[in-house]
Amino acid sequence: MAKRTRDLTVVQQMSRGPMDIPFLMLVVILTVIGVIMVFSASYPTAMNEGLSPTNYFIKQAGFGVAGLIAMFLISKINYQTFRGLSIFVLGISIVLLVLVLPFGYGKSTVGAQRWISLPLIGGFQPSEIAKVGVIMYFAARLSKRNTEKRRRLSPRHPLSDVYAWLDEKGVLEPLPYFVILGIVAVLMLMEPHMSGTILVLVGGAAVLFAAGIRLYWFIGGGALVSAGLFFIMTQTSYMATRLAIWQDPWNDGKNGLGFGFQTIQSLYAIGSGGLLGVGLGKSRQKFLYLPESENDYIFAILCEEMGFLGAAIVIILFILLVIRGYWIAVHARDRFGALLVVGITTLTAVQVFLNISVVTNMIPSTGISLPFFSYGGTALMIQLAEMGMVLSVSRQIPAPKQE
Amino acid sequence: MAQKRRGTRIIRQKPDHRANRVILIRSLILMGVFGLLAFIPLFFKLWNIQISNHDYYQDLAVKQQTRDSTVTANRGTIYDCNGTVLAMSATVYNVQLSPKDIHETQESYQEKVENAQENGGSLPNYPEPTNEFIASNLAAILELDEADILKRLEKNTQYEMIKWRVDPEESDAVQEFITNNHLSHGIYLMPTSKRYYPKNSLASQVIGWVNPNTDNVGAYGIEAQFEEALSGQTGRVVTAKDGVGTELLYRFEDYYDATDGNNLTLTLDATIQSFCESVVQEGVEQFDVQDGAFCLVMDPNTGAILGWANSPTYDLNNPWDVSDPVLLQYLEDIKNGGYTKEEAYQKALAEGCTADEAYKKALSASESKVLNTQWTNKAVTSSYEPGSTFKSMVLAAALEEGVVTESDHFYCTGVAEVEGWNGDPIRCSQRSGHKDQDLAKAVANSCNPAFIEIGKRLEAEKFYDYLEDFGFLEPTGIDMQGEPSSGGQIVWDREDFTNVDLAVASFGQRFQVTPLQLITAACAVVNGGHLMQPYVVSQITDANGNVIEHTEPTEVRQVISEQTSQRCREILEKVVDGGTGKNAAVEGYRIGGKTGSSQTIKGDDHTIVSFLGFAPADDPQVVILLAYDSPKPSATNPNVTEDLWYISGGNMAALKAGELMEKILDHLGVEKTYTATDDVMVPNLSGLTLADATNALKKNNLNIRTVGDGDTVTGQIPANGASIPGGSEVVVYMGAEVPQDQVQVPNLKGLTMEQAKQRLSERGLYLKASGATEYGAHVVAYEQSLAAGTSVNRGTTVEVRFTDSTASGAGL
Repeated sequence: MAKRTRDLTVVQQMSRGPMDIPFLMLVVILTVIGVIMVFSASYPTAMNEGLSPTNYFIKQAGFGVAGLIAMFLISKINYQTFRGLSIFVLGISIVLLVLVLPFGYGKSTVGAQRWISLPLIGGFQPSEIAKVGVIMYFAARLSKRNTEKRRRLSPRHPLSDVYAWLDEKGVLEPLPYFVILGIVAVLMLMEPHMSGTILVLVGGAAVLFAAGIRLYWFIGGGALVSAGLFFIMTQTSYMATRLAIWQDPWNDGKNGLGFGFQTIQSLYAIGSGGLLGVGLGKSRQKFLYLPESENDYIFAILCEEMGFLGAAIVIILFILLVIRGYWIAVHARDRFGALLVVGITTLTAVQVFLNISVVTNMIPSTGISLPFFSYGGTALMIQLAEMGMVLSVSRQIPAPKQE
Repeated sequence: MAQKRRGTRIIRQKPDHRANRVILIRSLILMGVFGLLAFIPLFFKLWNIQISNHDYYQDLAVKQQTRDSTVTANRGTIYDCNGTVLAMSATVYNVQLSPKDIHETQESYQEKVENAQENGGSLPNYPEPTNEFIASNLAAILELDEADILKRLEKNTQYEMIKWRVDPEESDAVQEFITNNHLSHGIYLMPTSKRYYPKNSLASQVIGWVNPNTDNVGAYGIEAQFEEALSGQTGRVVTAKDGVGTELLYRFEDYYDATDGNNLTLTLDATIQSFCESVVQEGVEQFDVQDGAFCLVMDPNTGAILGWANSPTYDLNNPWDVSDPVLLQYLEDIKNGGYTKEEAYQKALAEGCTADEAYKKALSASESKVLNTQWTNKAVTSSYEPGSTFKSMVLAAALEEGVVTESDHFYCTGVAEVEGWNGDPIRCSQRSGHKDQDLAKAVANSCNPAFIEIGKRLEAEKFYDYLEDFGFLEPTGIDMQGEPSSGGQIVWDREDFTNVDLAVASFGQRFQVTPLQLITAACAVVNGGHLMQPYVVSQITDANGNVIEHTEPTEVRQVISEQTSQRCREILEKVVDGGTGKNAAVEGYRIGGKTGSSQTIKGDDHTIVSFLGFAPADDPQVVILLAYDSPKPSATNPNVTEDLWYISGGNMAALKAGELMEKILDHLGVEKTYTATDDVMVPNLSGLTLADATNALKKNNLNIRTVGDGDTVTGQIPANGASIPGGSEVVVYMGAEVPQDQVQVPNLKGLTMEQAKQRLSERGLYLKASGATEYGAHVVAYEQSLAAGTSVNRGTTVEVRFTDSTASGAGL
């Protein structure tokens, strides 16, 4: 017994301990389904562009395999190393977000400067890195918040009492984080990249929330965001038209051929699916009707081909993944692991939720891709790398006591 | 070492249970929100789209995803009763350009030229397909505006239709142009169908036409009434297409065969129909008729309509063209100042239009009025006062009820007393009165006071019963478009039918019937009392000739008995045989009938003159109703036209009806029955002695005149086999030379029959008289079969039609 205890050292647990198999399986299943859906949804687009029908599929499958390998390798890394790395990841992502403005591309295709091309790595969105960077950095710092030395103003300082009171009430604590979020958000809005900004804020907020930042920040923040949204929606004509189109996509001034077109086509695809779908590969809407059918709107094609049942199964898989993610967070060995996983899991969950909401026209449209499904090699790789981090945390979950 | 690493790398954060608990609780909250709550609405939303609104979205999606091309079914053919084609469809082509494709063709031509120049090959052996080249050639072939084609070629659109439904010669020429100049990628001939009416205007209002502007749907007449049967089932090819319109071959393709339309066989006889139309048209010109005319011919034994002519008429192949001279004149009058009287003009002015706009409005209003007039089948859609023709039914009813017999006498003073009537006294057409007359004479005279008496004897109740029984209170039920649902316009209810109404109704006035109702009732009077349902379509067959529907004659009810019907025929025959209808008489045929002159609401100068006739009188095969609406009275005498035709049914309609009846009976193969003066065949006399020849001629009711003094007959005029009127003289040559010279036909117009006979026999010609031939000295010739001055052989028979030119009001 004693020998056995010695054999199962913490180090061994750390490096070789079992990954969370349910989580791993969910990730693999979703990735496989996603890659297959990319094949189905992308070949008409590929053919229309004069490419081989399997062009996008092969690329995505390649990135998928590479991503799964990367996930496995990352899961092998002791996640404590991410603490130290976090500041670099965040720093690099901010640099990249700055660089993307003059050197990036994407203006001509989507009207926003979102991509940057680096040697060896290829083109990717710095915002993807920024999401991870923010979560990692926040998790690393917030996990130590109870031990952090509180700064105090000298008692002679006229504001020292106020400062102490504010500090007492937790007003000052999150301010540095807000500054970081603010910098990233401003940079991303300059691209502009509204949906990415939302996701970065959500990721950061999730970590802040879980770490124990005073709740009034969230209540106040929620109120502020609501007021802001309300203002934008009611007072600006841009959002007003968007809202009108959201309520009635045909009412886009061009009888459904203007801004409402994509939403309408998406609804056609989803609606055509019915209960059981038209069958895998048999979508009609992907034949140049639904723009970005292999990308942001791939879920609509899934709905059309696999029906309500298939779509529900995929959503349930996502739910299980998310729940398992939180389960890992709750059981994580330390606060850093917990916060890291909470951040990544929440980010994934919100991304899935927003994507499907947009595709089903539950909320006004904004460009958010569906994790594991949407076409995009680096995005998939980064996604799987994040899952690798989660798995890395899961390796260090203490085995349940046998007795 | 491991322990050490653990110490340095893991225990960086101090255990803090409170902090851990916060993280635990808050993580669980996040799990609840993002792991579950957030996703629940997604399921509802998906259910709503995919299950609840599945059909809605699928329909919309399928609509945009598929291309539905129609395969037109061939429209059925319409035949007359003898199989003559009246309407048929044929494939013709629309000429369509694709400026885009032409541009590509032009580029590939340029490439060929460049290739040839670089590699030293030969240049294309056809001209460069420039826009100008294409436009000028197509404009020449299709008779289009070159500049317009050029303009459309420069549009860079996918499709430009430049001419619809071109004639086969033109489409052949276009095809040749395409082939010769390698333009098959750019100019297209798209097949479509066109309706042809080989007989042009024949039976136009009955047949109707299809409107090419509304998908070849039948617009009028049979074409509209039998649209469903004729049109067939349009086939469809449903193909999938992608978002930019490219067809996705072999995906979701569906093919529904087109079923060709059924063929219709009408009861109309094209020959009888053309007789009717020419008689109608002749009459319109002859009598200066203002408001058109119609003629119905019906088989009384079945109710089948054999002929149905309307005037004005039009060419079914060009329904929007106006060709009728009366209508053209009307339009001309409108243009030249008549427009100021038009309602549309006044209305436009009142609405504040300028005079010019109002003029245009009036013009277009009158144009559509004219088109409507020529398209309308007046004989079924409109009603008129039947006038004296209605007396046939009154007679039948009275005989059936036994309130009159042939031996009854009526005394006519010229005026009829009607209790309760307080307008001008009701006069007979003969102001001085017909005096004493028996029933047949009263009918033959069309005596109004006599009929008022007959009506009175019949009594209102019975009279109304017969109105009903003869079908005047309901539509006939004919398989034609446009019959008013109430039939004609019997203005009285049964309860309100008083003795004054009875009096005027007895001679056919103050109520309206449709011509179709009238002829249907007339058939019942003469066919043994059977009211037949009239019909036009006798048979519907499918494209393979299988009979789908066959119309059996339908008897609506028996109105009068066989015996009564026979008595009516005998009495009505006397109308033609010496009565008001004598102008309808045809030598050799027994014709019965009744004339009529009806008042119209348009005023005194608008009278509808009509004749309702049947033949043969002993066994009617046809019943005709011929009417001219409003011959124009001359400026000086309101009773006659400019050409001095007395305006009455007897002098106009009966005259033309006689001609028509003769043609129809002849066409139907009804044998003429001759009396002594009828035509006989000249026997072969050659080689006979004088006595034998005289005998032979006598047998045939012919007289002899000899020339020469030989023993045997060496020649004769007319030659053997010729048909000449009985009692005529045959010139027999006994050895003398038969003269071979020709003689000129004299002008016989205005001569009495005796004078005409003499004038002809002076030249060795024979007279064959028709029309009113036996009744007095004022019966004169008005038409001859061979024009005056024509050179003919001796012995030729000249047919001459006589009319009673000075007839008084007896024509009613």
